[in-house]
Amino acid sequence: MKLTRRNFLAWAGIAATGAIACDVFDDELKVQSPALIPEDLVSGRDTWYATYDASVPGGQGLLVRVMEGRAKKVRGNPRFPTNQGKQSPAADAILQSLYHPDRIAGPMLRTGPRGSGQYRPITWEEALNRFNAAVNERGQGMALITGTRCAGYATICKAFADAFGGSHLRYDAMDDAAYRAAVNKVTGVGRVPYHDIANAEALVSFGSDFLSTWGNPTAYGVAYGKFRSKGHRGRHYHFGARYSMTAANADKWVPIAPGSEGYAAMALAWGVAESHPESPWVQAVTGEEGPGALRDFMPDLTASILQIPDAVLDGESPNEFFKHLAHDYAAHGGLVIGGGGEAGAYSNGPFNASASLLLNYVLGNVGHEGGMLPDPGSPIASAPDNAAITTLTDWQRIAGDIASGATGLVVIHNADPVYGLPNGVGLGNALENESVAVISASPFMDETTVMADLLIPDRTALEDWGDDAPEPAPGHRVYGVQQPVVNPLADLDPRSFPDVLLSSAADLGRGDTMPAASYEELIRANVDELGADFTDALKNGGWWDDRMVGAASTPSSGLLDEIAGMAAPPQMEGTGNFQLLPFAHNTILDGRNAHLPWAQNAPDPLTTVAWQTWVEINEKQGREELGLREGDVVEISTSAGSIQALVYLNPGAPPNIAAVPMGGGRRAGSEYATGRDERESGNVMSILAVSANDSGGLTWSGNRCTITPTGDSMAVSKMEGGYTSREIGEHPAEQVFKTVSEGGH
Amino acid sequence: MPNASYEHKWGMVVDLDKCTGCQGCVIACQAENNIPINTKDYFLQRRAYEWIRIERYWEGEYPNVKARFMPVLCQHCENAPCEPVCPVYATYHNEEGLNVQVYNRCVGTRYCINNCPYQVRMFNYWHPNWPARLENQLNPDVTVRSRGITEKCTFCVQRIRRGELKVESQGGQRLNDDTIAAGNYDPACVQACPTNALMFGDLSEDRQPSPSAIKPYFDDVNAHPGHGEHDRETRGYRLLEEMNTRPSVIYLKKVDPYPLKGGH
Amino acid sequence: MALAGLLATAIVAFIVVVLFMSWFSNPPFGWGNAPAQPIPFPHTVHAGPVEEGGHAIQCEFCHRNVTTGAAATVPAVEVCVICHKQVNGANAKADVAEPETLINIQRVLDKHADGRPIDWERVHRMPDHVRFVHEAHLRFLTQGEERTVTLPIGDEEPMQLPVPVQEACSVCHGDVASMTEVQPQDGQSLKMGTCLDCHRENDVSTDCTVCHK
Repeated sequence: MKLTRRNFLAWAGIAATGAIACDVFDDELKVQSPALIPEDLVSGRDTWYATYDASVPGGQGLLVRVMEGRAKKVRGNPRFPTNQGKQSPAADAILQSLYHPDRIAGPMLRTGPRGSGQYRPITWEEALNRFNAAVNERGQGMALITGTRCAGYATICKAFADAFGGSHLRYDAMDDAAYRAAVNKVTGVGRVPYHDIANAEALVSFGSDFLSTWGNPTAYGVAYGKFRSKGHRGRHYHFGARYSMTAANADKWVPIAPGSEGYAAMALAWGVAESHPESPWVQAVTGEEGPGALRDFMPDLTASILQIPDAVLDGESPNEFFKHLAHDYAAHGGLVIGGGGEAGAYSNGPFNASASLLLNYVLGNVGHEGGMLPDPGSPIASAPDNAAITTLTDWQRIAGDIASGATGLVVIHNADPVYGLPNGVGLGNALENESVAVISASPFMDETTVMADLLIPDRTALEDWGDDAPEPAPGHRVYGVQQPVVNPLADLDPRSFPDVLLSSAADLGRGDTMPAASYEELIRANVDELGADFTDALKNGGWWDDRMVGAASTPSSGLLDEIAGMAAPPQMEGTGNFQLLPFAHNTILDGRNAHLPWAQNAPDPLTTVAWQTWVEINEKQGREELGLREGDVVEISTSAGSIQALVYLNPGAPPNIAAVPMGGGRRAGSEYATGRDERESGNVMSILAVSANDSGGLTWSGNRCTITPTGDSMAVSKMEGGYTSREIGEHPAEQVFKTVSEGGH
Repeated sequence: MPNASYEHKWGMVVDLDKCTGCQGCVIACQAENNIPINTKDYFLQRRAYEWIRIERYWEGEYPNVKARFMPVLCQHCENAPCEPVCPVYATYHNEEGLNVQVYNRCVGTRYCINNCPYQVRMFNYWHPNWPARLENQLNPDVTVRSRGITEKCTFCVQRIRRGELKVESQGGQRLNDDTIAAGNYDPACVQACPTNALMFGDLSEDRQPSPSAIKPYFDDVNAHPGHGEHDRETRGYRLLEEMNTRPSVIYLKKVDPYPLKGGH
Repeated sequence: MALAGLLATAIVAFIVVVLFMSWFSNPPFGWGNAPAQPIPFPHTVHAGPVEEGGHAIQCEFCHRNVTTGAAATVPAVEVCVICHKQVNGANAKADVAEPETLINIQRVLDKHADGRPIDWERVHRMPDHVRFVHEAHLRFLTQGEERTVTLPIGDEEPMQLPVPVQEACSVCHGDVASMTEVQPQDGQSLKMGTCLDCHRENDVSTDCTVCHK
């Protein structure tokens, strides 16, 4: 019993009747002198270490405050060229990964049936022996499934898989396959381009939620702040089917039909060509044919595809609307961003992405300040290309191989494909094949890890070495270096997965095929190769060029024809009145942060909901047509399955759109991730139809669904209405949140 | 340390035109200030608390709709309604313009909470529980508040104090915008904000020749009273200005080139 | 009557206990002020003057963070071993040392060899909600121009500042160098009043946020 000021009176009362028990402050009575004096163990003194986190979109350079050997706070590294001293809320939350109560403690061996989560602890020696034996016996055809981290990490994983005749698969739930394919086609580079929003004069975005989860939202946020601070305040238009954070921040949101982003981009290209036929950029794209080359995309002709509401057109014809917009943008050298994320996840995703990229060429806004900056290439040329992210078609093949036993060993690190891939892919079922050995290296239990026979606890980002070539890189090459800022937690005894691979390869006599003896050594070698000093790289959190690499700014001939030939309205999977639009949660992302209390308790920016899975439905439609109220439990059914979610009536959501955040519905792992019932927590990824577009990517935006009330309802846990400064004084919103139509300072 | 030779007057500017609602400030604050995890139950009981929160207002409806994001934190009012109602002087205004909450004095009457027009004072309804091991993250510079007392934004006074000590020990220079940013002495929310929608600085009069970048906004707002708001040269305004609480936080109006029809 | 008497007794007892616990929430009447340490550490031998058999080691040699940071810091075992790898009973002076002393030194060396910390009993306790920065206080006492101050702590004699670090420490901690068991000096209880008296006397801010966090 600790005596606090509060329960003091209670104690005093008890004491007065004669029973005084005063064993107070027990834990405060000791002061420990450590055996050694590392500089970060001095009590009361903080040390800041530069490191890097690859778990947030785009990757971030971080500084971590360490006191008495414990990490206390994470902040953006001011020197790091992308996030420039700022951090996303998800990056702040990685601290909780380190000290999470539900981390896997020591290596474990499965004792119960597969998926039961019953394990017994074993020694590292036994774990490594089992790992080596599995690789030795079943390495041929092994599937090594990892996250998308590239550079040295991918080099090691690929070398390991190759050494034993297996394959290295890289999982990304928000796989941007269509966008990557389009980037490759349009810019000729395998890595995604950066958009210099900070120096742009005007901005137009297509679908991608770049202020929340797409690209590098923190870097783009920094740039967006600069974009908004300029003397001449540029305007931002957003075209998209969902009222996303980016749509909410745009000066004007133009709602369009789901999957018509490409048509919107081509309509704007048409407008630019019409209003500036003399522009060399327009001529370079349209060739001899001139603006006529774009006549098929004249907005009046595609109006039925775009479906822009009359209230937004405001009396103009679509042609006039886009011409006006084009006039503004061409005159101001507008920058175009988007085409990826939800825009690319339709059957016509490659067209949407290519058209958005092409528009920058039409506006002459490629390869220079304020424009789109094609990637200069990976800083680690020897590392596997980032474009090689495993796509849906590959996942289907692999699930088949596992089910049939052709793949005898699955090793998973830093990926949770069982959770993130649609149920229809069948990976979860395939992993129930007992003849296949499954090994997971993870600090936490999750849907994929729970299928493992052997658990080897992994280190979290703050305990481990790491490297990455973040993308988008800001127009020049960036190499991020992650160093351990605290000692690995001794009671958990986690080990670095790449090092486990390297030592295993050495034990099995394949050490010579591996790039280095340890991950740290490889990072040192990579830094050397870049001509940098390792100590400097650690101090800075990485290495980067100080100059922009010249980039191609003219499109290849025939590109327009090729893209125009791809144009097709999106084909949706299934039937139903609603378009199901999943989106990555602002802090939980694709579900990878679901175990972090801070990520869970951060309210969603637009709905302010926390902890639960909600479905955003147009307020008017929900209330008047469907008779729904907030908190009603509805069944969301696609052609592939159904989940439940709580209704949030959103005045901004377009009718017939059901937007559902990813990251809910976890059924294995930490209490923070799983502790809700299925009515309020559903995994929207699981019910997506298994369907890929030409790039091989999952068409996760392209599902129709029905919304059926279950008759049940629950309270929605949200911030909205809890505290508002307007309610207390009964002030209308505009007296609290003030606006002006033109900017001063 | 507040020193006889240096007076500070801390203030903040919130640019509504730059806030994207990303919640970066909210989580940075939670991490810095040992704010307990807001569980689902806390939300359902309307007792979830954040020292800085993003309020979201809807204007209009689809398709002409605007979601407005506004960060709201303790306004550190010079004329604070919370201060006179505290029966035990647990809240007071200090010389640096901070509205201070003294946790040790607070007896939990919640009068201040009721009297705050901004609803930024938070009451600890529960014991501060941290799951095992997560307490390793707790910031030793900030007290873990016990159950039954009121707490609120401090402008991260622990960082200001660290900064003052640092500059003092290095020859008595005074904190300015640059040293604050370089030393990580900004409040955690200001440091985290990707778009720099939050700005922090020293408003004291004698700050020549390098006044804080936020001073002009305060000068402009101070020069024109609430009813003369239209004369202001900046977008600055104070939240619920007509209540005459004289906040140390100034908001800059959102620039909206396409206001809703029939709006204001 | 009996009831009233009981009630009165209960009330008086309550008040007494309240006063007792609130006033002496640092262990009352000096009880436990000089707790037995896991390994006896005579400051007399280490910091005491040479003429009295001490070694006059400066305070900040062991408490090495005291002039630069908030906490004075108890030294790491490593710091003990700097000297005690030589002074371990194996040298010429071994015969003068008490066998018990040699055993204690060996215990320190063992801790170091095993990489284990020593859990000292805390003598000066600072509540969780208080921020005390040694560096700032030592800067006041050991730097700046010459001046005379009367500090409302210890013997309250006028004092000529600046003083060397050793003397500055003893202002609050008493003559630790003469203590075999360290205890807070008389009249010094680490109560808020002591802090405030001194801050007022020297024109330092008494704003709550200066000390309370």
